[in-house]
Amino acid sequence: MFSAWNWVACGLYLLLNICFLEVSGGLVQSCGHIIPESPVLALGSNFTALCILNESCLDFGNIYANQIIWKIKNRVVPKEQYREINRTVSSVTFNDTSSLATPLTCNILADGQIEQNIYGITVTIGLPPEKPKDLSCIVHQLSKLTYPMTCTWNPGRHTFLDTHFRLKYRWPQENFPDCIPKDVNNSCTITDVQFFVNLEVWVEAANALGKAESDPLVLDPIEIVKPLSPHNLSVNSGILPTVLKLSWENRISAAVMKLKFNIRYRIIGDTNWMQVPPEDTASPRTSFSVQGLRPYTEYVFSIRCMKEDGVGYWSDWSEEKTGVTTEDKPSKGPPIWRIIDASRSPASWTVHLMWKALEPFEANGVILQYEVTVRAKSSLSSPPEKYSVNTTNLTLKLPNGTYEVTVIARNRVGASPPSVLLIPASNLKAPVKNVRTLPKDGKLWVGWTAPNSYVLKYVIEWCLVSNSSDCITEWQNEPGNVQGTYLKGDIKPFKCYLITVYPLYADGQGSGQSVKAYLQQDRPSKGPTVQTKKVGKAEAVLTWNHLTVDEQNGFIRSYTIFYKTIDGNETAVTVDPSKTEYTLSSLTSDTLYTVRMMAYTDEGGRSGPDFTFTTQKFGKGEIEAIVVPVCLAFLLIVLLGVLFCFNKRDLIKKHIWPIVPDPSKSNIAQWSPQVPAKHNFSSKDQMYPEGSFTDVSVVEIEADDKKSFSEQDLKPFDLLKKEKSTSEGHSSGIGGSSCMSSPRQSVSDSDEGEATQNTSSTVQYSTVVLNGYRDQTPVQVFSRSESTQPLLDSEERSEDHAGGGDSATQRQQYFKRNGGQDETNTDRPCFERTKQITPANEGDLVGFAQMQISGQSSQLLGTELEKNTQEAALSDVLQASTEGQTVRPETVEGSPLSVDEMPKSYLPQTVRQGGYMPQ
Amino acid sequence: MAAADSPSAALRRRDLCSRGIRLAGKMRSDVIDLLDTYVEQQGLDASASVAAVEGVPAAAAERWDEQTGTQRLLDNLAAYRAFRALLAQMLEEQREQLGEADAALGRALAAVLLQVSAFAYHLEELLRLESRGPPSEEGAGPPPPPHLSLFERKLRGLGVLRELAQWAVRSARDLRQLAKPGPGSSSAPSPAESP
Repeated sequence: MFSAWNWVACGLYLLLNICFLEVSGGLVQSCGHIIPESPVLALGSNFTALCILNESCLDFGNIYANQIIWKIKNRVVPKEQYREINRTVSSVTFNDTSSLATPLTCNILADGQIEQNIYGITVTIGLPPEKPKDLSCIVHQLSKLTYPMTCTWNPGRHTFLDTHFRLKYRWPQENFPDCIPKDVNNSCTITDVQFFVNLEVWVEAANALGKAESDPLVLDPIEIVKPLSPHNLSVNSGILPTVLKLSWENRISAAVMKLKFNIRYRIIGDTNWMQVPPEDTASPRTSFSVQGLRPYTEYVFSIRCMKEDGVGYWSDWSEEKTGVTTEDKPSKGPPIWRIIDASRSPASWTVHLMWKALEPFEANGVILQYEVTVRAKSSLSSPPEKYSVNTTNLTLKLPNGTYEVTVIARNRVGASPPSVLLIPASNLKAPVKNVRTLPKDGKLWVGWTAPNSYVLKYVIEWCLVSNSSDCITEWQNEPGNVQGTYLKGDIKPFKCYLITVYPLYADGQGSGQSVKAYLQQDRPSKGPTVQTKKVGKAEAVLTWNHLTVDEQNGFIRSYTIFYKTIDGNETAVTVDPSKTEYTLSSLTSDTLYTVRMMAYTDEGGRSGPDFTFTTQKFGKGEIEAIVVPVCLAFLLIVLLGVLFCFNKRDLIKKHIWPIVPDPSKSNIAQWSPQVPAKHNFSSKDQMYPEGSFTDVSVVEIEADDKKSFSEQDLKPFDLLKKEKSTSEGHSSGIGGSSCMSSPRQSVSDSDEGEATQNTSSTVQYSTVVLNGYRDQTPVQVFSRSESTQPLLDSEERSEDHAGGGDSATQRQQYFKRNGGQDETNTDRPCFERTKQITPANEGDLVGFAQMQISGQSSQLLGTELEKNTQEAALSDVLQASTEGQTVRPETVEGSPLSVDEMPKSYLPQTVRQGGYMPQ
Repeated sequence: MAAADSPSAALRRRDLCSRGIRLAGKMRSDVIDLLDTYVEQQGLDASASVAAVEGVPAAAAERWDEQTGTQRLLDNLAAYRAFRALLAQMLEEQREQLGEADAALGRALAAVLLQVSAFAYHLEELLRLESRGPPSEEGAGPPPPPHLSLFERKLRGLGVLRELAQWAVRSARDLRQLAKPGPGSSSAPSPAESP
């Protein structure tokens, strides 16, 4: 079954192909056609097309109308729009032709599969023409006899179709051929029209969808003529200097139309046209005399025409022609003014006369020269002086006085009326009052109040005030009946002008009244530069300079000072513009402030550069208030201290400056008997409880023994030495020390001398006390005897054996003050020096020989330590003994050493400290 | 007559008279210009005297002052109808003779012909306003042109133009006379009243 249908379909397809091949081959064997054929349809209308199949095809191809498919281009028309009228006719209906497109085709769907085109039509869619509107016509005159008429109209909407427009016109009794537009659809030109007969004109528009006509326009073409402008215009000077005569030719016959004219003219270089009153030229003519012109002025003329009754159009303006009026006498004298320079000589003036060149409308020609006459009013007898100049100024040197100056301008025709200027000896007349200015319309208006007297005229002087240029005076005259005028000159905005108004009287002139003015103000070009003049704790004095005139750009109305701290709000202070200094108050001390200054005109302000300053930490007088009391207090304390010291000087002296008793003044007789009784020599153990104390008469110690002292043990001695250094020369030295320091030397020298004298019979001896301090090696202590007696072995032994106070007492008696404990470090030089002085004193030699055995001052350090520690005590003792031989053992209290262990009285054995002991 | 009395009719009449006068003036101006062109073009002497041409109405009129307005209009209408025919004949002859060689003369002749035709229309309208109505043109045209030589045709044309110029002057005067307000102008019977 399927294959059978396939065969049918293939057969049908071949058949249709054959049919179309035959058609294309010109056999015109179509299976159908569409009605209507290539229709033109109105946009938006409905449309129905029929596809009619040929009967032959029905039989041959088994094709029927129900198989027809309609297509627009390649788009299938929905089946709802089809209607099968019979088995050979199918219709399609479109309610709106706007959905149509070309081509519309009728197709057959054979067996529901194969689609074949039967026929197709072209559909044209458009609109019928609208009625042309706004028809109007104008007749342009092209030549004397050629008057084409051009009519224009509005063709209406686009029709999408080929639409033809025709301009139709006719006389009532005669028709004319239509005017067909070329290339346009809205205008047409009829080459020649006849006047004085009404012409009916209308437009007809037609296309495939219809025809439309405009409303007819009935007119006489003469009423819509735009004539050619008059030509061959010429301008001739008349007899009068204020008249020019124009002549021209009309290019339209008076038989066609009578014309009226417009004549316009202007001064050459001016853009504004003036016009001759139309009523003067409302009749046909070919010439006209223009009056009321300025002498010696070049004018430009032009003319146009139209129908006399005003119906129609004006022609274009004719070509322009120029003409010059003849010269006339200058109509007025030149304005004159003067500048008087009286500085050069007290008896005469240098008068600069200056006058303005006349305006062209006043000069009425070429000014050939000026005639200046100067007449002295005081001496009427003297003839006036006359000058002829070509320039507009004249400088004269005149004696002081009153003069009348007249200036006359002269041209080829004649002379002007004279301009008179009175130069009075002084300006003592009443001045104007209340001079004021007002910018208006880009110009500067100056007003004033007239004085009570009659004023001939006013002279307004002005000059630009600038730092960079001199004040170049400009001036102008104004009649005496005005009280204000605009400055006639190039007044620039943002510039300061100094304006002076002088009233001129018949018999003199008033003094000038000046005012400064700006045509236009602006912000200052820069702000004031502010700086500090003085800065205090809470206030700062700011100073600045006024802006220069060139920088101001207007009147400075105020200054504003802005100041702030780094993180604070800005504070503004308004300052009067006349000030150049201002004091900021209520500032915070020791604070950095930034200050700037703005200058304001009426138009705004501008800020100057920032300036920073720091307020002071202390105000004026604060430092003094602090320092002075402190100083006073210090001085008071010092004073009190001094007084205290003074009062306690004895005590201080005792502590600091002990008085060393002079042994030379001692008298052994006085004190020696008492001593043993008071001293307890019972035991050395009491003095040296540890049993480390050994009295040795002669000790030989190797130099190396000093090494037995550690340096640590020595250090404290050094410190103590230093402390005692200031008083070493006075303090009691260790008598047994063999170190020969210079103080000691000096003492020994002098004292020894005395001692030699006083105790020449004594035997010097020394006692070396080996003192072991605590667990240390005992220190050797030398007790030097100054006795000159030879030492006896028995005595020494007895003393040694006895260990009693006698021997000790004796030894102490021969102790001498030794202040050289500090010199213990200078071992060898001391010895050497000692050696040098040895010949002078045998006793010394012996003593030193004994000391030489020890030879090591280092070993004395330990001794000296003790000496030092007890030095004060010793000195006290000595002092006490010196003063009143009073034993004051209590003074040893406070000694570094064990005070309890110290003897309470003079003990010859206690020389371990190197002190001397009386014997 | 009633129509003539109405304001609109009077206005129309005045307008027709006014424009007729100006048309006559322009026609005369154009004919004068055309005469110069014609004489030059046809090789004629401008001073040549031309005897009265048959069929060309003469502008001169006896007792012109005594004519009524209607009579004037009828005389003018008859004359311009004759001129229209004569000028059309001249234009045809001109085209036959010169072809398109001298289009300017042809255009000028056509323009004058149009003006003559327009003036005739003015006269017909005025006559309608006179409640008279224009006479029929039948039989009013000129007689068929006799066979004339070329030179005679040129002279005849010259005579037509000269007489047209004269008529233009007369017509202007007639229309001015008609434009004047006055007693009824059609009281006297016009000799041209009957064809």
